[in-house]
Amino acid sequence: MEDLVEFIVDSAGRMGAEYAEARLQADLHESLFLKNGIVEAFAFEEIRGVGIRVLVGGSLGFASTNSLRKRDVEGALKQAFKIARSASKLIKRKITMGRGELGVDRVEVKPRVNFANVDIESRASLLKESDEQVIDAASKFDVKAPARVAELDTWVTEKIVRTSDGAKIYSVIPRAAAFTLITLVHPQRGSIQRYINLGEVGGWEVVERWNLPKTLFEEATTLSRALVEAVKPPRGEMDIVLGPELVGIICHESCGHPSEADRILGREAAQAGETFLKPDSIGLKVGSKYVNVVDDPTLKGSFGFYLYDEEGVRARRRTLIKEGVVNEFLHNRETASIFEVESNGASRSVAYNREPIVRMANTFFLPGDYSKEELFEDIKEGIYMKSFMEWNIDDRRFNQRYVGLEAYRIENGELKGFVRNPVLEVTTFGLWSAVDAAGKDLEFQAAYCGKGDPMQGIPVWTGGPHIRLRKVIVGGV
Amino acid sequence: MKFSEIPMKIVEIGRKSGATDVAAKMVESRRVMVRFSNNEVTVSKIFREATIDVFVMVEKHRAATTISTLSMKNIKKAIENLVKAAKAAPPADIYAPLPQGPFTYSPALLKAPKMPLDPDTLTGYVEGAVKGALERGAERAAGTLNALRAKITLATSGDVYISQETAGLELSIRAFVSEFATGHFLSVAGRLEDFNPEEAGRMAGEIAKAADNPKPGEPGKYMALLGPMVFADLVNQVGSLSSAFLIDAGQSFLVDKIGADVASKKFTLVDDPTLAGSIGVRAFDDEGVPTRRKAVIENGVLKTYLHNSMTAKKFGVETTGNAGIIIPHPWNLIVEPGDKSLDDLISEINDGIYVTNDWYLRYQNYRTGDFSTLPRDGMFRIKRGEIVSSIRELRISDNMLRILQNIVDLSRFRTWVKWWEVEVPTLAPYALISELNFTKPTI
Repeated sequence: MEDLVEFIVDSAGRMGAEYAEARLQADLHESLFLKNGIVEAFAFEEIRGVGIRVLVGGSLGFASTNSLRKRDVEGALKQAFKIARSASKLIKRKITMGRGELGVDRVEVKPRVNFANVDIESRASLLKESDEQVIDAASKFDVKAPARVAELDTWVTEKIVRTSDGAKIYSVIPRAAAFTLITLVHPQRGSIQRYINLGEVGGWEVVERWNLPKTLFEEATTLSRALVEAVKPPRGEMDIVLGPELVGIICHESCGHPSEADRILGREAAQAGETFLKPDSIGLKVGSKYVNVVDDPTLKGSFGFYLYDEEGVRARRRTLIKEGVVNEFLHNRETASIFEVESNGASRSVAYNREPIVRMANTFFLPGDYSKEELFEDIKEGIYMKSFMEWNIDDRRFNQRYVGLEAYRIENGELKGFVRNPVLEVTTFGLWSAVDAAGKDLEFQAAYCGKGDPMQGIPVWTGGPHIRLRKVIVGGV
Repeated sequence: MKFSEIPMKIVEIGRKSGATDVAAKMVESRRVMVRFSNNEVTVSKIFREATIDVFVMVEKHRAATTISTLSMKNIKKAIENLVKAAKAAPPADIYAPLPQGPFTYSPALLKAPKMPLDPDTLTGYVEGAVKGALERGAERAAGTLNALRAKITLATSGDVYISQETAGLELSIRAFVSEFATGHFLSVAGRLEDFNPEEAGRMAGEIAKAADNPKPGEPGKYMALLGPMVFADLVNQVGSLSSAFLIDAGQSFLVDKIGADVASKKFTLVDDPTLAGSIGVRAFDDEGVPTRRKAVIENGVLKTYLHNSMTAKKFGVETTGNAGIIIPHPWNLIVEPGDKSLDDLISEINDGIYVTNDWYLRYQNYRTGDFSTLPRDGMFRIKRGEIVSSIRELRISDNMLRILQNIVDLSRFRTWVKWWEVEVPTLAPYALISELNFTKPTI
């Protein structure tokens, strides 16, 4: 492995590249997919190849191949040069790679229980048992579960990144993820659906810790109750408490994405769009002083974990919003160069055949000093939104909507039963400015963040504590 | 052994290892992508790959893999492990043997026209598209050019051994007059003569120019004109969620609706992979079954779900030639045209909204079809049959079945849509929808 990336970077140097980067990556995946209690298929694959980036005359070329024969790799390198040179006529500002704390290191996360030691039967019986728990939980409320899908994925990513300016990082990271979509139906009350995503870095021990049968029993119980008991939510101006699941997605959508420096520069303008933040927005007040949002790839065990990015830059925590004020953007070396800052290690790629781009890792709201009881106690009338299903945001990351799934009415500081699909449809400034308290708790959820062209769905965590919003207008069915 | 014979060899190894059924699909592809923003190229990419998807069954026991290291030693080991994995996997509820050939395929669909992949030509297309947008008043443009050539070789234990070439050119361009005044358009072609990047640039520029100085829109129910990019996004949902697999998974608003009036009589949606020269052309599906043209919705009535042999057996019908070895899917969606011009449609609107593009469509409940999506790029108020102003900040928050029922009219003009947000190639018209619900942020 090492010889090949050395060969690529050395050859690129001899050919005249201002910068070259070789990434040899192998992802060994195993997936089990269950539909309505039946195993649809077991799948495994090794996605393996090399991705090469070269900077030639200020123009960036990327080439990938899954043939690791030297002549094919050499061919890919030549193609990267050729295509970069060809595009240079449409470049006014030459691309350069900025500063960053480059590493020479090995990062290996060792699983306690290796995935190879868990056979297909054990995986299938775990999913089947979990599936049965959904049916069992729903039946206690005279609710049917006519459609259930569940997927269990484990994979190990092994890669070596080498850059022409000295970074050299070898890493092996195991990950596990579980996904379910549950549909519950009641003859009079209609239907309700929920996605549940779990994901962490580690071996099979993380799957054991999730206790999927218990987790899904509890989820299906809550979902059944929401289906059977929920009433129309109150409408109008009121206080809202958001649970960590909502807080996490909000941090991701209306703080993390807008802070991506490549979006700020317009690089994603025709796909995921741009952002309301501008290059001079550092110092801009976007919310109340209780809002503190960070992105941190270095959280041990997190789904978005890494210690060095795809450009060999050491990762660190990024404080995106500090006390309501924009504090820092997410950078790779290309954007760092334009902004005249150091890269903060946000360059990520999902596979060997995908260009590294600016990405989040684990984006979350920092806990405050309120207990959960204190957050609720002085709310006269309000809504507690604990989970959601529908959400979206405009391509400037400003106009967003979250529709509650597990949601409750609050009266005089106490929860007063389920409400159905309350709607929070707000601007980013409006939302962050309404925050007046954050809890001491902190929870994370796994997700795959979509960005890039071709699309790269990359593992992330989103999270935060419970937070309270004052005087927000709630809509609903 | 020739490279193209590897899938046959895989079938042989799989059968010898004890599989009752084997399908091996090899895709050799060369793709070039030029991405641009602020009128400049930001990165150029070239992808060269050969991978093989293999699916085996030992009667009801199934397993699948993708092989990317194509030495015969590695392939043999992978297939033997795959058959072992299938034997160890718990059984599925049904066993549908892979369809038995040999089949006859349309020779016209097996060959693809020549498409340029050389960087200079492709960069020239980008230059032309940007020029078109700037000519029509845009300040800057961003987008992607995709050029693809691929060869798909399929072998199955059902006596199938066939190859097809595919090719396509896709240009997606978004023009900016200001941060809030943007326009997006596409040129998507399976033949070089149908590719017109400059025109796509001009269209994007025109929309952006017309969208200048937008004012906040007012929420409410409106007669809405949806441009082809928006309508294609909705139609993609209909096509994709008509997959029998997703019906079984409850992930569709079309569950239990075969034979029902799910849409206005004016709406007919066809999946036609046999349309020569289009970008979604496919001669055979992933089980080797010859593909065919089929109406999914005809004059408002849901006629069929999309099937492979497994879902077909489960539903007690014939395969529709839409395998997806596990999940059937549409190949090439076509909305039958209406008889109105764009001007006719606008003139029918007394008080309405014209949406040119959208993104980020998410469901509250797939089964009911409740969802929302964000209009982006030019959005306009129409009053008394004329576009009167540019608006922004609204969201379409409605129900998929209600929208399908509320189709009032469709245009004669149609264009191919396929881009970052719309995955399945879709030939879509402008659509006039009554009572479409728009919402907006409250703070």
